[in-house]
Amino acid sequence: MTLSESSAGQERVSSKRRSALLAGCAATVLMTVAACGGGTASTTEKDGFAQAPQKDGALTVWVDATRLAAAKQYQQLHPDVKLDIVSYDGNANGSNYLQTKVQLFNRTHKGWPDVVFSSQNNEVTWAVDAGFAAPLNKGLIPEGTLGNFAKGANDVCTVNGTLYCLRNDLSQAVLWYNAPLMKKFGYTVPTTWEDYQKLGEKVAEEHPGYLVGDAGDSFTPEIYLWASKCGANHITGPKAVSVNTTSEACTKMAKLMDALIKNKSMSISGVFSTDFTKNEADKILLMPGPAWFGGAVFKDGLKTPAKQIGVAPIPQWKGDTSTSTGNVGGGTWLLSQHSTHLKAATDFLKWVTTDNAYQGEKAPGFPAYAPAAENWLKAQDASGYFSGGLGALKDASGQVWPGWGSGQFSQEAIWAATVKPGLTQGKSIVSMLPAWQDSIVKYAKSDGYKVSQ
Amino acid sequence: MPIDTSPSSVAAPRSVRGPEAVSRSRHRTSRQRRRPARHLPSRLLAASVLAVFVVFFVLPVLWLVLAATKTDQQLVHDSPLSIGSWHTLEANWHALTAYQDNAIMLWLRNSALYAVISLAITLCVAVPAGYALAMTEFRGRRALLISTLVVMLMPNATLVVPLFLEINAVGLIGTMWSIILPYSFYPFGVYLTYIYFTTAVPKDLLAAARMDGCSEFGVFRLVALPLATPVIALVGFFSFVANWTNYFLPYVMLPESDQMPVQVGVGNLLSSVPSFNPTVGSLAIERPQLALATLVAITPVLVVFLFAQRFLVSGMLAGATKE
Amino acid sequence: MTLTLSSTGSARRRRRGPARQSRAGAAFVAAYVILLIAFGILPTGYAVYFAFTDAGGTFTGFANFITTAQDFRFVDAVSHVAVYLVLWLFSLVVFVVGLALLLHRLASGKAGQALRFLYYIPGALAGAASVLVWLFMLDPTVSPVSSLLGTLGFHTFGEVIAPGNLALLFTIIAFWTGAGGWIVVMYGALNNIPKDVMEAAHIDGANAWQTAWRVQIPMLRKWIVYMVILGFAGGAQLFVEPQLLSLASVGVAGRDYSVNQLTYDFAFQMNNINGAAAVSVELLVVGVSAAALFVARSGFFDAD
Repeated sequence: MTLSESSAGQERVSSKRRSALLAGCAATVLMTVAACGGGTASTTEKDGFAQAPQKDGALTVWVDATRLAAAKQYQQLHPDVKLDIVSYDGNANGSNYLQTKVQLFNRTHKGWPDVVFSSQNNEVTWAVDAGFAAPLNKGLIPEGTLGNFAKGANDVCTVNGTLYCLRNDLSQAVLWYNAPLMKKFGYTVPTTWEDYQKLGEKVAEEHPGYLVGDAGDSFTPEIYLWASKCGANHITGPKAVSVNTTSEACTKMAKLMDALIKNKSMSISGVFSTDFTKNEADKILLMPGPAWFGGAVFKDGLKTPAKQIGVAPIPQWKGDTSTSTGNVGGGTWLLSQHSTHLKAATDFLKWVTTDNAYQGEKAPGFPAYAPAAENWLKAQDASGYFSGGLGALKDASGQVWPGWGSGQFSQEAIWAATVKPGLTQGKSIVSMLPAWQDSIVKYAKSDGYKVSQ
Repeated sequence: MPIDTSPSSVAAPRSVRGPEAVSRSRHRTSRQRRRPARHLPSRLLAASVLAVFVVFFVLPVLWLVLAATKTDQQLVHDSPLSIGSWHTLEANWHALTAYQDNAIMLWLRNSALYAVISLAITLCVAVPAGYALAMTEFRGRRALLISTLVVMLMPNATLVVPLFLEINAVGLIGTMWSIILPYSFYPFGVYLTYIYFTTAVPKDLLAAARMDGCSEFGVFRLVALPLATPVIALVGFFSFVANWTNYFLPYVMLPESDQMPVQVGVGNLLSSVPSFNPTVGSLAIERPQLALATLVAITPVLVVFLFAQRFLVSGMLAGATKE
Repeated sequence: MTLTLSSTGSARRRRRGPARQSRAGAAFVAAYVILLIAFGILPTGYAVYFAFTDAGGTFTGFANFITTAQDFRFVDAVSHVAVYLVLWLFSLVVFVVGLALLLHRLASGKAGQALRFLYYIPGALAGAASVLVWLFMLDPTVSPVSSLLGTLGFHTFGEVIAPGNLALLFTIIAFWTGAGGWIVVMYGALNNIPKDVMEAAHIDGANAWQTAWRVQIPMLRKWIVYMVILGFAGGAQLFVEPQLLSLASVGVAGRDYSVNQLTYDFAFQMNNINGAAAVSVELLVVGVSAAALFVARSGFFDAD
């Protein structure tokens, strides 16, 4: 009987709870209906958008785990600022967290964060339409500051000439190489793609198993095809894209990759795959890749010892007069139009994107803000991990080809789903270029893009 | 991720068991005595099928346990089922607890809070409801059964927006009730109780109690509840698991990172692992630490399973139902 | 649906006070009804309203259904899910029932309890928690079953997750997480079969196979139907498994695979909650129709 008595006790609790629930839920039903009206308070037109009445209170900042350090550092240096730091997944892996929440906040007319970091650089493709991202070059951030960002760094933030976010870091592609190994084999770092291919063929013959590159990642097209000025992703307007994957710029790079994949001097595993880590980590001779490969792949991922990895400019096609490279990602900071602490939000945004204390010294990625980048390079040099100077990174930061944009659809996801399975089956990239184009066009159209081919 | 229609969060009651267990073993021994020759090969075959499935279900979990004792390097380079070391396990634990100042403990605390409070409400609401649907007749009974089933079959992607609006309308956004109240609605538990009472408790028993002058509430309290231990354990267990493993609702609903339950936390850890998100930089979480976090996250569910199993097998109806 | 609900037993036995019972019944369900309305009916109704309106709230008829069906991924997703459903329901019914029967027959007491626990463990590994597990299980380079994968002709992760294998892989993953719970359920149901029935089968000289086929499975009918209804709806709403593999393979396999994934895409990537609601309503209709069919065929709601 003890059992039944304890159950009865539970029952008593429940009846209390029930009445509370009853009241709560009845209110829910009534107020959901009432919620549909929801007006907003009067706004002031300033800095290019309608600003909410400004109030005191904590500044809400959303950051990913990596940028948490930046927010904490800011709090430490500015103890008088009230900060509410929220860590989230940073929209990594296309989680769409920010977009989901902003959609909900737009319906409830409250809850927006003041400043947000996103590890994606295509947020403005929806955040402007959603009325979330505030224009930054209409008074909030001085022109002088904006002018110091690397050339083209904020292109991904610009819609119809208005700037809606600030770039956190750049991911310009360069040519990483293993200096002692190159010396041992008696090779020189190639400066043209033609030489690069020749070297790959030589490696396949003289040192089979060694690699001059990797084509197995979802960001492979952004390293090779972007650098080759392949017009697969030319964003021509806020909702317009031009796609042509079969131009000569695309096919000649695809052919180069096919040749090297065939002779196995180019891996198709992907640098983060276990296969690569296990079997190919010590076989890297050359590796075209973005700026963050230095830390994330060589130092932390593959644990390559210090003083081996050097960096050179990415090769160019012979006879091409304008140098170009690709770019793989790079995060952005957005400021909310709905912020009621615009002053504090703007101060934070300026600090986190430009101040040497974070960007110049602590940031893991190559800062988009050029003066901070100078400092960052010095710090990297001083750390003594790399072999030789990192000047090539700095040069490349302004050479990212502007003909490849950042649409709402994910180029990486499309490549991963369309081309990667074919590569595994042994198909050539050249033969898959039309299917790739077809897939890009379909995804772009379903996101409401006007597509020209 | 869907809130709870995935088959993993769905199951039905084990009905009462009691005298059968005894009779079953008696059966077997007698059968064995009679036809040992014919049965041995087929029994061996059957036993090996069970063993193969044990490997299927357990091997990945075993791998996960071992993974937590290795370094990231060992995970890739050593044999998959090799054992790391206690020292490494400790190091992984320290690295995991160092992540955002011991965030994992905070997540576990949040999960426990949400899961236990909702579990209590669920039991108080679902058990009487299932009982009434099965054992009493009232207006709207069928409508209730049908709407419960329909609501259970609704995909969850689009329910999140209305839920968010409702919770916002009553001003509960940002409180733990925004998670607990939706969790507390557990139609599956109502069905479990409903089916349990219709199949396992004879109505004569209740009728007899009514004859003795019990009030309806008295019948429920004094007759039905004591018989319902297995189904209460079952509803409690499945509700706990559903609450504990729910990802999408808290992911969308909660505004502060210090309110996150462990499932969302593990999701965030996942996006701090370089192989899933290459750009995390030096603060990365390594895969063995993620494995350890996963193990920590599932342990409470397994403990509750073992605890609930004791009640699930206790044959409360042993005397009452027969004849 | 109404026709499937035949009058249940409770109507038959009202010795006294039907009005009293009715009042009490209503009181017992009151709290649940409130939760049902607030967190079940209201959101579902809201979603149905979304499905037939546009972003501005204007009634649009079936426009959302047509536009979403015309999405280039829709037809593929439907056919993927159809193939998956066949594999999933087959494995669910055959293996869950089979394993429960075997467990019931062979493993008694502690051994049975231990086996059920072992079979259940993966059920605790939900969502993000199992991404790591499957990434390593399916990658021949580091998998504990790499020799098995090798025998089947797979030498790289890419080969394992080739598009043709996906339906089977998702079935394996879903079965791994979901089967344990159902085995526990079926085992319990088997225990509930009266011993005289088993005894009678025995006296008639039925062997194990015949007992299972002629006695036990027919008596499990309700539970199997119940499992199939929820398994069907859950399978049609396939989401977690492809999402998980998509994370593990960094987008190579499993993205935009299922219909339910499309609803998430519509709702949260394309900001088209109305389109998402339309697809959800389609899935609901499919789930409810299947349920109605099974319920009507099996007398699932009958009390006896």
